[in-house]
Parts: sequence; C-alpha cells; structure tokens
Amino acid sequence: MLSHATSCPVQAPVEHRFSPYTDNGGTTLAIAGDDFCVIAGDTRQSEGYNINTRYAPKVFQLSNGAVLATGGMYADAVTLMKRLEQRLEWYRHQHEKEMSCGALAQMLSTILYHKRFFPYYVWNTLGGLDEEGHGAVYSYDPVGNYEKHKWNCSGSAGHLIQPFLDNQIGFKHQLANATSLTIPQVLKITKDAFTSATERDIYTGDYLELFVVTKEGITKEKFELKKD
Amino acid sequence: MFLTRSEYDRGVNTFSPEGRLFQVEYAIEAIKLGSTAVGIQTAEGVVLAVEKRVTSTLLEPSSIEKIMEIDQHLGCAMSGLTADSRTMIDHARVEAQNHWFTYNERIKVESVTQAVCDLALRFGESAASEEALMSRPFGVALLIAGVDEKGPQLFHTDPSGTFMRYDAKAIGSGSEGAQGELQEQYHKSMTLKEAEVLSLKVLKQVMEEKLSATNVQVAVVTPISADGTGGYRILLEEELQEIIAQLA
Amino acid sequence: MDYFPGNWGNPRTGGETYGPVSHKAMPANHATPTTRTQQPIVTGTSVLGIKYKDGVMLAADTLASYGSLARFRDVERLIKAGDSTVVGASGDISDFQHISHMLEKILIKEYNTEDGHKLYARHIHEYLSRVMYNRRSNFNPLWNSLIVAGVRDRDGGKFLGFVDLQGTTYEASTVATGYGSYIAQPLLRKAVEGREDTLTEEEAIKILDDCMRVLYYRDARSLNKIQRATVNASGVTITEPYELESEWAFAEGIRGYGATE
Repeated sequence: MLSHATSCPVQAPVEHRFSPYTDNGGTTLAIAGDDFCVIAGDTRQSEGYNINTRYAPKVFQLSNGAVLATGGMYADAVTLMKRLEQRLEWYRHQHEKEMSCGALAQMLSTILYHKRFFPYYVWNTLGGLDEEGHGAVYSYDPVGNYEKHKWNCSGSAGHLIQPFLDNQIGFKHQLANATSLTIPQVLKITKDAFTSATERDIYTGDYLELFVVTKEGITKEKFELKKD
Repeated sequence: MFLTRSEYDRGVNTFSPEGRLFQVEYAIEAIKLGSTAVGIQTAEGVVLAVEKRVTSTLLEPSSIEKIMEIDQHLGCAMSGLTADSRTMIDHARVEAQNHWFTYNERIKVESVTQAVCDLALRFGESAASEEALMSRPFGVALLIAGVDEKGPQLFHTDPSGTFMRYDAKAIGSGSEGAQGELQEQYHKSMTLKEAEVLSLKVLKQVMEEKLSATNVQVAVVTPISADGTGGYRILLEEELQEIIAQLA
Repeated sequence: MDYFPGNWGNPRTGGETYGPVSHKAMPANHATPTTRTQQPIVTGTSVLGIKYKDGVMLAADTLASYGSLARFRDVERLIKAGDSTVVGASGDISDFQHISHMLEKILIKEYNTEDGHKLYARHIHEYLSRVMYNRRSNFNPLWNSLIVAGVRDRDGGKFLGFVDLQGTTYEASTVATGYGSYIAQPLLRKAVEGREDTLTEEEAIKILDDCMRVLYYRDARSLNKIQRATVNASGVTITEPYELESEWAFAEGIRGYGATE
C-alpha cells in the first residue's frame, strides 16, 4: 500500500485546503462629538506579510449621510457595502425619506446576523449624526452584535488605540474634568493615534483617510502615514 | 364566440371594452352595503368611529370588532366584507413589525397603507411558477389612522388598491350623507375632543338604529410621548357615554 | 463488490433495516460523487504588472506545471479581453480557460447589444471579482490569481487591478501574483512607485524582463520563455513568447549547496 503522500501525483504548490476567509488587516476609528462625528481608517491592504496595495479605501461614505468604516476581509466588506447601498436606495423608494443613522444601525445588525452561519468577516464601525444632530458611533462584531458608543477603535491596531482614546476622548484616569472636544482637537488626536499605531502594527500604514460628518455635510481628508 | 358586454364581468382580470374591471367595481359597490365608518384627522391625533349593526337582541355587541390595532401608533377601521380585512390587517401587522425589527423605528402611516394596497390587486389566475393568488378582489375598504414623524394622518384604501389621504372620510352605507356632513363641519383647527363628538354626530345622522354606547366603537391614535402614553386606544364605554351626552 | 460508489458506506439492505438512505451527495447509480476544487492541478506561476507613462504592461511565462513536473511549455497566460484590456492568470490553468470562455461570452453579448456601451478594464475587473467572490461563497472556487490591466473606462486612464480565488480585490501601480509577490514586488515598487507617469516603454520593458529573470533564477516552477502584454493608446499588444537571457556559468564552481570551503 502506497502512503498518502506518494499515491497523490500532484501536490498543491500554495494551499492544501480552501479557506473562504482571509484577513486584510487595517484599523478604523470613529469618535462622536456634540454636533459632529469623525470616522477614520488607514488605507493599507495586507495579506500575510505582503502589502497588497497602499491605497484600498475601507471607509465608505453612504448615500444617507452616514459613514461606514470596515476592517477584516476586504472582499466581504465590499460585498456588504454594495448590499447596504442597495438597501438604502430601496428604503428611499419605499418610504420616501433617507434612512436615519439609527435605522441603518439596526438594519446593518440584521444583515450581519442573517449570515450568522457563514458570516461576513468584517468589523464595522458606523458613524453619523442621530435624529437630534449629535454625533453617533455604532460598532459591530461580524455576526451583528452592536453597541452605541461615544468613541471606538477596531481592527488590527484597535487594541493599541482604544485605551488611548479612553484617556484622550473619554478623559479616563485623568483628574481634569471631561470637556466637549472640537473638530480640530479630535482630528489631531486621531492623526496622532494612527501615526503611533503605524510604528507598532505592520497592518496599519500608508495613508489615513478622515471623514468629518456635520449637519452641513461630509468632508474628507487624506493624511500621510509611514509606508514601511 | 363573441362576448356580450355583460360577460366582461366573468373573468376577474378581464377589461371591458370601455376599459373597466367590473369585478373590482362590484367590490367597491360591496362596501356601500357595509356599516358606516368615519375617520377624522386633527393636529392632536386621529379619531376612528364605526357603527355596529346589532341585528338581534341576542347578539353580543362587544363581539363585533370593526376597529383594530395594527401597531402601537396605527389603527384601522373597516367597512364591507370585514372577514377580508383579516388578511389585510395581518399583512399590515407583519409589515409594521418587520419594519420595527429591521430599522428599530415605527413604520410610516403611508408605508403601511402602501403595503396593504400592494395586496389588493393580487387576485385572478396565477402562472405555474407563481404562488397561488386570491380568487377575487377584497370586498372591504379601510380607514388607516396613525401618527408618525409627519404627524397624525388618515388614509383611505379601496378594493382597487388605490389609497388617498383625507382630513376626514366616511365609508360604508351611510358614507354619502356622512361625507357631506363632514365637509360642512370639519375645520383644520378642530381639537381631538371636537373630532370625537363630530364623528358620533355624523354616525348618529346616518345610522338606522338609535346611537348608543353599545352600537358604536371609537378609537383614537395620538402621538406617543416619551413616557409611553398615547398611541392607539379604543375608547371605553364610559368615555362613549360622555361624548354621547354632548351630542344633544 | 458493489461498483457504484453511491452505495458505498450505506447498508446493503437499503431502507428496509436502517431507514431511508440519503443520496443527496451522490445518486446511487452515479459513477462519481459531486466534487469541488480542493487544489489546483495544472498551474501557472507568477504574473507581474506595472503602470508606465503611456499605459500598463503585464508579463508572465508560458509554463504550465503539473506539480513539480514542467508539463506544458507553451501555454499562454495573458489574454486580450475586449479592445482595451488584458487579463493575466496564475493558478489553475483549466479554471483560467473557463474564465476566458466566460469573458468571451460577456464580451460578445455586450458587442451584439450595440448600445454604445463597451467593457473597459474597470468593468472586466468588477465582473471577475463578482464571479470569483460568488464561487468562493459557494465553496467552489476558481483557483486563480488574476491581474486585469488596461484602459480604466470610457474617459481613459490606466487601470491595473488584482482579483483572487477569495474575491479579494485591489488596485496598485505594481502588482504581482504568487512567488512574484515575494520576489518581484519589492523590485517593482522600487522601480515604479512615484514614476508611473514618467517611465518610458523601454524602461518598463526592462523592469519587467529583469524581474522575470530574477523569478526564473529563484522560482523552481518558472520558465525563461515569457510573454509581455501592453495596453496603451494604440491598443492591446501581446508579444509572441520570447526567451530571456540567463547566465548560469557561475554554477560551474558551486559544489554542494554553494557554501565556500
């Protein structure tokens, strides 16, 4: 009897068993202000030790004025985004209004949970303004568990940045009283957070894309990160 | 074989040479045999009122149910073949719950009305691949009342699937007289209380039986406040007595 | 001996003793079970792609390997798709031939529609990404890494994109599949990044030839017979296969694994 290795005439040069999932890395962040919301993410796409590209945007502006930051498997994120845009348009036609941030938050949860047993491998952070015009941040796990926050950071450098935000945005472990932050202050904290994370996390880098949501609209900014 | 004009009402989906769907028109006629129902929209909320035909002294009046809840913020009054409304109300309730489940918000009055009307023309023959349809049009008209982000609203639906928004609307056997009366009496600054009284006043004029707290049913839909009060509510018999007392 | 694999593992008495037998995976009278691609069989190695001044350029060798056997030495892995796109493939050759047929089908369909629409590189890339993602979602992947290069869309512009068996997509000014992503990509980035709009065609050719030569020296599943595809203002050109010069004289003096005494 031949052993398994020799009875098989061909050996797969790369992979031996198909996995439908991959992790393309990346870090995303969202911070809610009194009347604004900042959503940011780096643009590096990785696979293993490779950098696929330096610019693959994974923070998406949605047609209802919200912004979705994604991390994890890029192909799943792109597919999820296409579905969300379709649902936003159907909703517009059916109900003759834009979907609110809160409604989108709930819908995203149901979409994710409907794929509970073959999940979209995506960590989502949704940012926008709530019905009262205050900043709103929702974060998700891949199967639709979600929570509303004031600030959140997830993805490959999430564990590096989150405690920094707890301190700088939430004033945790500070004697100073919590104050409302302005947009320039939040942008500065965000850029510092990503510049530092880029030093330690190989999956974060290249460029940072920042979105600022206010009642006047959405602005976008590109910021350079280290490319090594 | 040549079809004579009167034969165009055989197939439920056959247009007559004049471009009419007779079965749908007959269904609309069926509503004119039904008991009268009235809806009045005010800035404070919407009133729905129906007459209950208590055809026998042995009949238990409370078992006649012609106003129903669709959701916390939505009510519905009906006239015509009320059994048909079960399908529609069930559909409306599912639609409202699905909307809440998916979007964590209350469905708009117009959206739930549209959803109900989408059912209306799904009668006739089905193709092999399709699921079975209904054999005939619905024989019921609805007054859908609700409060959403656009405020209190009243919609009327008929068996053709057409829906329209009204300040005040009457349907059923007494609708002609009732609508005329509403036309005269309605004004935009009407309070909810005034609308309650007007609705029964109008019913009283068109009802064959003498109006009492047992042979009418009234519901109101008001905005739901932060503490959870408001929304759809059927008025109690004592409350009806109070309104009736103001009619004289 | 029961010669129908569909019955293997099921009780011989069928439904009588043990209840109904499920033939969902394989009908009883069927010779073989339903199968899914578990591994590539005949494979192509790296494809490289870069942007340059006038357009985009791809390179790939013409070898199709059967495991470690250099099975077919003249297989073309760069194909023209429409008037302004080339697609290069590494991975399973038969899956790539299937993809070629699908592309041919949609291109003919689009041509016959005569509605003024044309499929540009961006559209072909999007189409392939949906095909690859849907196949992976049905656990029946097309075992390839594909590079799509050409004119971006109706308004012109350069397009250089990537799709793989999991549906992963990206665009970049340099792309490489397989071993190329480890060996050639760093060289390509050094030569191309920041110079996408200034590199001449001659420079672009040299960069790709040099990288393909390095791959030929290091990748045991590669060949020095290669093709290059160029998309620029004058359309798509794919070279005939040509040989790269290589120098093996240094090997004469190497003994064992090359360690000096």
